[in-house]
Amino acid sequence: MFDFAIAGITSPFMLLVLTGFTVGIVGGFIGVGGGYMVTPALIVFGFPGYMASGIDMTHIAGKSVIATVRHRQMGNIDWVLGLAMVGGTMLGVELGVRLLNWAKNLGIAGILLLTCSVVVMLGLFIYTQLETAKAHKKITKDAEAGIEAGREVMVSKVPLFFQNIPIYPIVRCHTARLIISMWVIVLVGMVTGILAGFLGVGGGFVRVPALIYIVGATTHIAVGTDLLEIAVSGGYGAMRHSQMGNVDMIAVLFMIVGAMVGAQFGSIATMYVRGPAIRYILSYSLILATVGAFLRLIYMLTGQKHEFLSFFAVVFTLGEMFFLCFFITSLVVFAVRYRHGKSVPEWVPALVVKED
Amino acid sequence: MADDQKKRGAVKFVFWTALAVVLIGYCWYSYSSGQMVNWYYYKAKTDGYAVNANTFQAATKEKPMTLEIGKFNPIEGLQATPVKKGDRLPVNTNGIISTKDLEEGKRVKLEGDKIVVTVPMQVKEAKGFKYKDTFKHKGIETNPWSGVWNVLWVLSLGICLGFSAEGLTDMFGLKLKKIVHHGH
Repeated sequence: MFDFAIAGITSPFMLLVLTGFTVGIVGGFIGVGGGYMVTPALIVFGFPGYMASGIDMTHIAGKSVIATVRHRQMGNIDWVLGLAMVGGTMLGVELGVRLLNWAKNLGIAGILLLTCSVVVMLGLFIYTQLETAKAHKKITKDAEAGIEAGREVMVSKVPLFFQNIPIYPIVRCHTARLIISMWVIVLVGMVTGILAGFLGVGGGFVRVPALIYIVGATTHIAVGTDLLEIAVSGGYGAMRHSQMGNVDMIAVLFMIVGAMVGAQFGSIATMYVRGPAIRYILSYSLILATVGAFLRLIYMLTGQKHEFLSFFAVVFTLGEMFFLCFFITSLVVFAVRYRHGKSVPEWVPALVVKED
Repeated sequence: MADDQKKRGAVKFVFWTALAVVLIGYCWYSYSSGQMVNWYYYKAKTDGYAVNANTFQAATKEKPMTLEIGKFNPIEGLQATPVKKGDRLPVNTNGIISTKDLEEGKRVKLEGDKIVVTVPMQVKEAKGFKYKDTFKHKGIETNPWSGVWNVLWVLSLGICLGFSAEGLTDMFGLKLKKIVHHGH
C-alpha cells in the first residue's frame, strides 16, 4: 500500500505499475493512449474520478513519448504528416470541449457522449473488421498462388479518393510515401480532435483508423505518427489537469515505470506483424470498449437503477486490457515460432512477417 | 562495426538511464519529503483549517476522529492549522476544512480547541462500482507553474526512458532495422 498524499488516498502501488504495463503494451502496439481503459481502472483502485482523469492523461503523455522514441527508431513516424496534423488536432480538441460544455448546459452530455461513443466505435469496428478480413483473405490467396505479400496489405479504395483532392498546398510525406493535400491532413486532425475533445479521450482509436482509411498511411505509420500526436495533445491535457490540481505525480511515476516496459514490448511487437494484425487488434479493442460504453448507456437510460450494468461495464473495460495483452503476446509468440519454422495455427502466417 | 554499434548503445544506455534515475530520484525525494505536495498545493483559497486528509480517512459517524488545532508546520498526523485565504499552506497539507463546513457541522464540528471529523474529506458513496466524490481540494489553490513543470518532467522522463531502452537493445546487438513503407 502507498500513501498518495496529493490524491488523498491509500492504494496498492503495484496495481498502478501493472496497469501502466498492460496499457503500455496495448498503446505501443495499436497506437492509442488507452485513456478509456485506465480511468475506470484508477477509479476502481480508489482514486477520485477527477484525479483518475488527470493521472491518466499525464501518464499517457509520458508513455506516448517512450513509444514514440521506439517507433522513430523503427521508421514508423512520418514527421511531416504528424506535424501537419497537430494544429488541426489541437483546434479540434478545443472545439470538442466546447461542444461538450454546450451539451452539459443542455443537460444531455452523458447520454449524448455515450451514444456518440457507441456509434463511432461500432462503425469503426464494423468497417475495420470487414476491410481487414478482406485483406487477410487476399494475403492467403496470394500465398497460395506463390506471391509473397508485403508488410502492409489494404483493400480499401477510400484513401485514393482523398489523395486525389487537388487543393494546394500538396505535401509530400517521405516516410509514409504519400502525396496528399495538406488540408485533408488538417481536416482529419480537426475532426478526430473534435471527437477526442468531446469524448474526453486522447483520440487514438479514431485517429489511427482515420490515418489508415482516409490519409492512406500504412498501419505501422499510423500507429507511430498517432503516438506522436498523443504526446502533444496528452501534454496539453496534462498541463490543464495539473493546473486544476488533478495530478498526483507519484502515481504517474508508478504508471510510467510499468509503461516503460510495456510500451517497449508493444512497439517492438509491431515489427513481427503485418498491418492487418494491428488492425484486427484495434477493432477488437473497439468492440470491447463499445460493449462497456453500451452497458453504461443502458444504465443511464434506465435511470441508474440497475447497478449490475455499471459493474459489468467496468469489468469489461478492465478485462479488455488483459485480453488485448494476451492476444498481442500470443501473436508475437506465434510470429517467433513461424520464423523458426515451427508449427503455428493456420490463420497466423497471413498476419505475421517472416523476415525483418 | 557491430562492436562499435554496441559501444555506442552502451554509452547511450548509461547516459539516458543516469538522467532518468536523477529525474525519478528527484520526484521520489521531493514527494516523500513533502516538498512536492507543499509546492503543488500552494495557497489557501478559503478561510479554514489546513489538514492532511489522509490521516482521518477512517472517520465515521460511529467512530469520529479528533484533530488537534495549533500552529503546525509540517502537519503530522491528526493536526489542523488555522489558515486565511491567500496564506501559504503548511507542509503535508492536502485539504482544507473550511469555516463554512465547520459552521454547518454536518461533517465536521469545532469542539473547543479540537475539530471532530465524522465524515472523511473524500467520501465515496460506493454502490457496486459507482462512486460519488465530494472532496475536490476546493479550498486549495494549486501552483500556477505546476502545469508546465509536471508536463516538462513527464516528457523529459519519457524521452530518457525511451532512449535508455533504445540504448539497451543496441548494447545487446539487437538494433532494430527501419521498416520501409509503401503508401497506398
